[in-house]
Amino acid sequence: MTTPSSCDLELLSAYLDEQLSQSDRARLEIRIHADPAFANALEELRQTRTLLRHTPQRRAPRNFILTPWMAGIRPPVPRLVPVFSWASAVAMLFFIFTLGAGLVGQLSFGLAARSAVAPMASGAGPLVAATMAPVVAAPAPMAPAATAAPATMASVLAAPATVAPVPTVSVANSSNLAPADQTVLPTPTEEPSIMAVEQSTPPAVARVAQPPSAPKALHRPVNLWLFIWPGLAVILGALAGLVFWFNKRTFQRKNPRG
Amino acid sequence: MDESALILDAQHGDLQAFNTLVLTYQDRLYNTALRILNDEEQAADAVQEAFLSAFRALNSYRGGSFRAWLLRTVTNACYDELRRKKRRPTTPLEPETTDGDEVESPRWLADPHASPEESLDQAELEHAIQHCLENLPADFRAVVVLADIQGLDYSEVAIAVHKPLGTIKSRLARARLRLRDCLQAFRELLPAAFRLEEQSSL
Repeated sequence: MTTPSSCDLELLSAYLDEQLSQSDRARLEIRIHADPAFANALEELRQTRTLLRHTPQRRAPRNFILTPWMAGIRPPVPRLVPVFSWASAVAMLFFIFTLGAGLVGQLSFGLAARSAVAPMASGAGPLVAATMAPVVAAPAPMAPAATAAPATMASVLAAPATVAPVPTVSVANSSNLAPADQTVLPTPTEEPSIMAVEQSTPPAVARVAQPPSAPKALHRPVNLWLFIWPGLAVILGALAGLVFWFNKRTFQRKNPRG
Repeated sequence: MDESALILDAQHGDLQAFNTLVLTYQDRLYNTALRILNDEEQAADAVQEAFLSAFRALNSYRGGSFRAWLLRTVTNACYDELRRKKRRPTTPLEPETTDGDEVESPRWLADPHASPEESLDQAELEHAIQHCLENLPADFRAVVVLADIQGLDYSEVAIAVHKPLGTIKSRLARARLRLRDCLQAFRELLPAAFRLEEQSSL
């Protein structure tokens, strides 16, 4: 009677599970029949295996089925989603483009306006200087007219029917006294006097009274694209947001979590 | 429905077909995980993780024993869980008596259909086996659980633990010997039908 080695016990275990080849099996059976220690070892292994096979089986505490959310399966998306999936990015590009275009437009417009004003200012330098100087000195020439006013006022009070011609007469008189002062009075009330001046003064002086053409160029027509592009960007962004929200809501309804 | 057809459908993304397979195998996977991990919550987590991994890797299944292939995923999940447990050991929240002693057979573990004596026998047997399995190295434990508790043949166990057949034979034999020695210590506590008689001192 010999104690089975670990190698023999491996053979016995495999014999128990019918995992030995025919020749190994025949050889081992001879030893089992010949040696009671082999037979006892085999019996103990058999009992152990029987015991393990009778281990109580538990039922799963819950079902382990997978939900589409767990499996990462997304529901079919609406047809328009592929179109709008990039809408936010496109909207952002439009927005940046619009900002850039507006900025460039404003810069170029500013430069153009400046370059347009500069030659005019240089070409009409003497005239502007001639017109600007009296503007600054406007109060001074007014003084004689103001002082002359009481005299004319007396005549106005005396003869109300002649009120209208009075200013023209007075200004015409003052223009005779100081021709440069005619441009000093661009107020609407003095228009008759300017007309009078135009009739009585040389053409060169009348040209001075006209406003320069450069400021007209400043009132360029408004570029509508500056409003259209941001509008499109906002609309596209809103649509993309709506589609995203709708898609998410649909997915959550179809695949409630948990 | 045929299992092969269900597997094929599941491979084409049919979640319903895969869930049918889940319902077929969930008890087996849960018991395997429970014997390896000895913790119900962790076993449930491992099974859920295993089914999720199985669904994601279903296209890598190339035929053969689907049961072994599934048990391989749950064995891997259990190994991961054991490694995690080793890194962060925790104290199980076992119920205690008023004296502070641990209740080893809580009432919610009892089978409502069994008689009190049968329930007690089953609980004692389960406790003894689980205690002895706990003392085995994880690799040995997985092999013996798959071969002797789940009834897989050697080739299926080899697939499940991804080891050669020779390794399976060797590990199973040594695991059985260790379990034999351990279970003999519980001889008096085991039901009479399962009482291991000491034949010889090996």
